[in-house]
Amino acid sequence: MKVGDLSVYIDMSLLKPFSKLPALNAATILLVEREERFQQNLADALVGDTTVTVNVRLAKSLPLPMDNEESRPRIDLVVFIINLTSELSLKSAEASLKYLDPGYFLGKVCFLATNARNTSVPTERLDAMRKLAASLHCPLLFAEDQTPDGVNSATERLLTVLKVAAGLVPTATALYLSSLTRCTIPPDIDQPSFE
Amino acid sequence: MAEMLHLSVTSGSDSSALSDQSASSRVGNRSLRVAEKERRKNEAEDPFVAALKYFSDVEAGTPVVGNDDFENNLVLVEKVAYSRGLHPEAISIMLEFAMSLRMGTTPCVRILKCLIPASVVPQEAVVRAWVWLTVGKIPTSTQILFIKWVLTVFDMIDGKDHLRAVYGFIFSFVTDENLSPFICHVLYLLTRKESVRVFRVRKLLELQLKLGRQPYLLHLLSLYKVFCPELVTLSIPSRLRSGFKNHNNPWKSALSAVQKRNGCQVPSSTSLLFTNKDKTASRKRKHRHLELPALRSVTIQMDQTASSSISSNSRMVVPLVQVHSFAELLENIHRIELPAQMGSLLGSSLALQYLDCVQDESALLRLNFWLGFALHEEFLFCGDGASQTSEEALLFLNKLLSTQHFLQEGFFSSEAFLYKFLNFWDGSLFRPQILDLLSNIPVVPSTKIGQLLFEPLMQLFFTSSLFFKCGLMECLNSMLLKWLTWHSVYALEDDLDISLNSHTSINMTLSGFKDSVMKLIHFVGRLASVGLQLEGCHSVLLSFILDFYETVCDTFLKYGLPLVVVPPPGVFYPALMATDPVSVDRLAYIMHRYKVNLMSAKTQEKVTEAFYISRQTIREFNHYMVVMVNCLWNSKMFHPGMGVQLGEELLLRSNVAQHWRSFDLIHHPAFLSYAVDFHQRCWPARRDMDLNSIKLAKPWSWYLEYLYSQGYDGLKQIVPAH
Repeated sequence: MKVGDLSVYIDMSLLKPFSKLPALNAATILLVEREERFQQNLADALVGDTTVTVNVRLAKSLPLPMDNEESRPRIDLVVFIINLTSELSLKSAEASLKYLDPGYFLGKVCFLATNARNTSVPTERLDAMRKLAASLHCPLLFAEDQTPDGVNSATERLLTVLKVAAGLVPTATALYLSSLTRCTIPPDIDQPSFE
Repeated sequence: MAEMLHLSVTSGSDSSALSDQSASSRVGNRSLRVAEKERRKNEAEDPFVAALKYFSDVEAGTPVVGNDDFENNLVLVEKVAYSRGLHPEAISIMLEFAMSLRMGTTPCVRILKCLIPASVVPQEAVVRAWVWLTVGKIPTSTQILFIKWVLTVFDMIDGKDHLRAVYGFIFSFVTDENLSPFICHVLYLLTRKESVRVFRVRKLLELQLKLGRQPYLLHLLSLYKVFCPELVTLSIPSRLRSGFKNHNNPWKSALSAVQKRNGCQVPSSTSLLFTNKDKTASRKRKHRHLELPALRSVTIQMDQTASSSISSNSRMVVPLVQVHSFAELLENIHRIELPAQMGSLLGSSLALQYLDCVQDESALLRLNFWLGFALHEEFLFCGDGASQTSEEALLFLNKLLSTQHFLQEGFFSSEAFLYKFLNFWDGSLFRPQILDLLSNIPVVPSTKIGQLLFEPLMQLFFTSSLFFKCGLMECLNSMLLKWLTWHSVYALEDDLDISLNSHTSINMTLSGFKDSVMKLIHFVGRLASVGLQLEGCHSVLLSFILDFYETVCDTFLKYGLPLVVVPPPGVFYPALMATDPVSVDRLAYIMHRYKVNLMSAKTQEKVTEAFYISRQTIREFNHYMVVMVNCLWNSKMFHPGMGVQLGEELLLRSNVAQHWRSFDLIHHPAFLSYAVDFHQRCWPARRDMDLNSIKLAKPWSWYLEYLYSQGYDGLKQIVPAH
């Protein structure tokens, strides 16, 4: 493959934050989840918000198909939903990341982890998840996807981030908010009581 | 029964009520003696007593096979055991018989299985049995059965002091690979601070090298670490999967049946400390720790005889459950025996009172240890998330909270749990409880506070709703209040060294404490500034923030902490420009309190040099004060040197006439309605309103009086009316 071909290919498939004009009083969120389990619930709850028009787009992974590229609105926030009980879920999100324009990483990408408190989640995967989010300077939210309260809370928090990312909060920008909420790697606090 | 009948005869009641058997003894004393004799005779003939006598007297080496006497007696004992349970003496006899192997190893298992205590298990018998363990040639499986039995009836053993006295002896079994898991469990229940020794730690570490990281060794080691952290340097993994297994299978159903029949409502040792239910029941294991074990009594009869036996027997320990009043607690405080399940203490206020007044750290350590694991297993490391909002979990957290409120301090295990939990929290799961627990944590050293507390909280704060932001503000305010209260209670008079917590021996220097408090205040200042900005200076959020600064402004006078931190501009200006008069008034009150604190600190500084207030702080405060008075009273907004400066051109372009007046007490958006009201009252006849006329000398002082009379005391304290 020639270098020229490659650049064309990448250009076509990259999702860009500013390639389209924003719609008035509207925000668009893209939920990427490999298992396609939680995203539907979340989408239903997200569109329930009445203060702004929230468009929700769902995807299993990136890149997005080219055919409806024209009709797709500008995407203000990309959320990767990661089920921590599955290694594939994390790997798939990791693979999708490279189809995002670097501009997205200035506050328009967010990770949402589920099942973090589950017995079957190995510590290594959790650490890998944190490292990934921290290295990209993105926030990492945790969600309880099994209970209605958990879904509501996750919805509220995503809306908070989305409104800022879509420029609907006059006093804040996406980059500003992400500098406050970006993931940090917590110290090893195992058994601090014994120290 | 017979005795009662005879007594009624001597008192001369109706003879027709007498039964035929007692007809022979119609006269007073004689009849009593006869009855007594008869009773003894009956007892001697009681086959159960005879059976016990057989087992205590039988000679060593008597064959078992084809021995009808033995068989009949044993069947009898078994029958009694399974129906009523064995009384303490019977337990002693049977245990002695079995473990001494007087008739070989065959009956041993059968007897151990039927050792169902009716009330208590005498500890002497248990100690003797331990000794037999080394003397005879008991097969390993039987040895294990015996230890399992000890674990099952552990809470029914009438005293633990002699068992503890042979701690070293029991410990010696730990090297036996087969017995080791069970021995570790027994040791776990017996361990006290004084039992933790270097050589024992070394032995366990050696074993661990040999056997690998076995959970039972880790559990015992981690308990040792709780008692003597300096001896165990090993790092204990936070995710200890399985605890000690439950070994009560052979006795469980029989024991609970006997206890039910004997009128004891609470089932016995069906859930010893760190028990895992059987694998088959694993689906139900979600909240197994959350059922607080009830404080369980060792005996049933002892309840009635408790007081007499206590006075007659000085080494007798009193299980906490038998203490029913505070007076009893005081009387027996030196011989209280803690239950095996420390979790049960949470449910009993007397037990908590005991914890609070004894200086024995081991009780709290054990409780903390139990709690740490329970919290970890249930909230950080659960099977599946489905039942997380269940009633049980809520009840458990509420119980924990009420305990902490009762003791007026947090447990360090719940603190450690929170630091981890915050990193996984979605901000809504058990929100009220988690925030409440959070506000109870003791002072965090300033070097760690950022990573442990601030980073996770900051992420949560800025991504969550206004409601959560207010909740967290309230929580941080109450955390600061508690820290300051601890300081004022525990600070030693000869300054510098303060012990922050009566139970955990965290010592912190005054400057260390001040650093932590300062970091907390600065952190909240940052949250507040940016939070107000993101939420468009929401007045509810502002109100919670002002609550916090009401605590902060009085740190010196109310809590004796030589520290004054003024609010950041991001809090001061939004409050000054707020559209509701209450916020402005509260800001004025806060500034007034700052002034009083600073002035009192200044005078103290001259006398004792207790502390040095940085010039910067005083400068900042003075600046705020000037801004406030110039803006509200003197109508000098936007003058050079004020906090808010705008270019002259820009102000002209805005076309606001007399813009310097726009934030005085008349034109301030929060007070405009009062000015209008005042104007109407003052000059009811006037047609066109001229608010500026209030500014004239006379009406101005009336207006101030009017405002102050509306309850704006904060304003009044800054500039008293003339």
